[in-house]
Amino acid sequence: MKVRVRFFARFRELLGTDIVAEPPPGTALDALVREIAGKKKEGYDAIFDEKGAFREFVILMRNGKRVEASDAGKTVITDGDEIAVFPPVSGG
Amino acid sequence: MMLSPRECERYRRQILLFGEEGQEKLKRAEIFIAGAGGLGSPVAIYLAVAGIGTLTVVDSDVVDLTNLNRQILHHDRDIGKKKTVSAGEKLQEINPDVTIRAIDAHIDEMNAGDLVGRADGIVDALDNYPARYLLNRTALGKGIPLFHGAIRGLYGQATTILPGKTPCLSCIFPKPPPPEAFPVVGVTPGLIAMVQATEVLKFLLGTGNLLSNRLFLWDGMQCQASEISVERNPCCEVCGEGKTEQTVRRRR
Repeated sequence: MKVRVRFFARFRELLGTDIVAEPPPGTALDALVREIAGKKKEGYDAIFDEKGAFREFVILMRNGKRVEASDAGKTVITDGDEIAVFPPVSGG
Repeated sequence: MMLSPRECERYRRQILLFGEEGQEKLKRAEIFIAGAGGLGSPVAIYLAVAGIGTLTVVDSDVVDLTNLNRQILHHDRDIGKKKTVSAGEKLQEINPDVTIRAIDAHIDEMNAGDLVGRADGIVDALDNYPARYLLNRTALGKGIPLFHGAIRGLYGQATTILPGKTPCLSCIFPKPPPPEAFPVVGVTPGLIAMVQATEVLKFLLGTGNLLSNRLFLWDGMQCQASEISVERNPCCEVCGEGKTEQTVRRRR
């Protein structure tokens, strides 16, 4: 199973632009992001708080649809999924 | 509202695109620009040269040397001046045929509705989410579009919010990122501002496909534009069924 994970903005600087992952069947969105982000501490810390929960401003999308962080643990990834993870930018 | 011969000449090259009728629509329009900084400067300049009849620009800051790498309405000689004074002078020089209202004010719960007045649309050229959420509620309350833009470094985002038809700002970004002194180089707000200004023109002219229900994401480092479809959140505290009494009251 192959899925594409795209980080944006600050997350992209820390974790890379476009990542192809091959998670085992049954992997949840939460676990997938945690696994990839876990490769760089600074990237992980940007997305997850001290308790390991998604920071409240983090936006998760699966195939262009929003997934609430509270649902990420039960959202099972399927082959070909495109996941986007980004923070809102705030400057003007 | 007829165009003067001088206006017909000034806008000749875009009348080729929009027709005199379109140009008259722009002349009748009033746009509210919240912020005269990195986004607000290019938005205001381009909407002024395009002939938007009335532009209201609101800011409460003073021009600082550190602003000048991106806030292109303000020049070196303006350091220490109110941004609204600097912006008003430049915009009126750029196009004396439009009306510029530069208001030195901090937008808050009490004055937002009056400041926006009868504008046909609001351009979000702010630099923080609390003020953006206020603008979002104001736009929803008045039923006028909000042209959102934001930047950081070489990244930018934009979307066009049409009350009742598209997600509102809180549907898309329910929680703000932590405040920071964001890094920025002028080209990024320049680019995002052009997306916003193009949206304003299309909305006023009733032409093209608006950036609605879509979030435009720009990565200047990769030179890559992406978009993500966004949906209304039925539980949105500001525009959804889950909105609280307090939110409804604030919107009025």
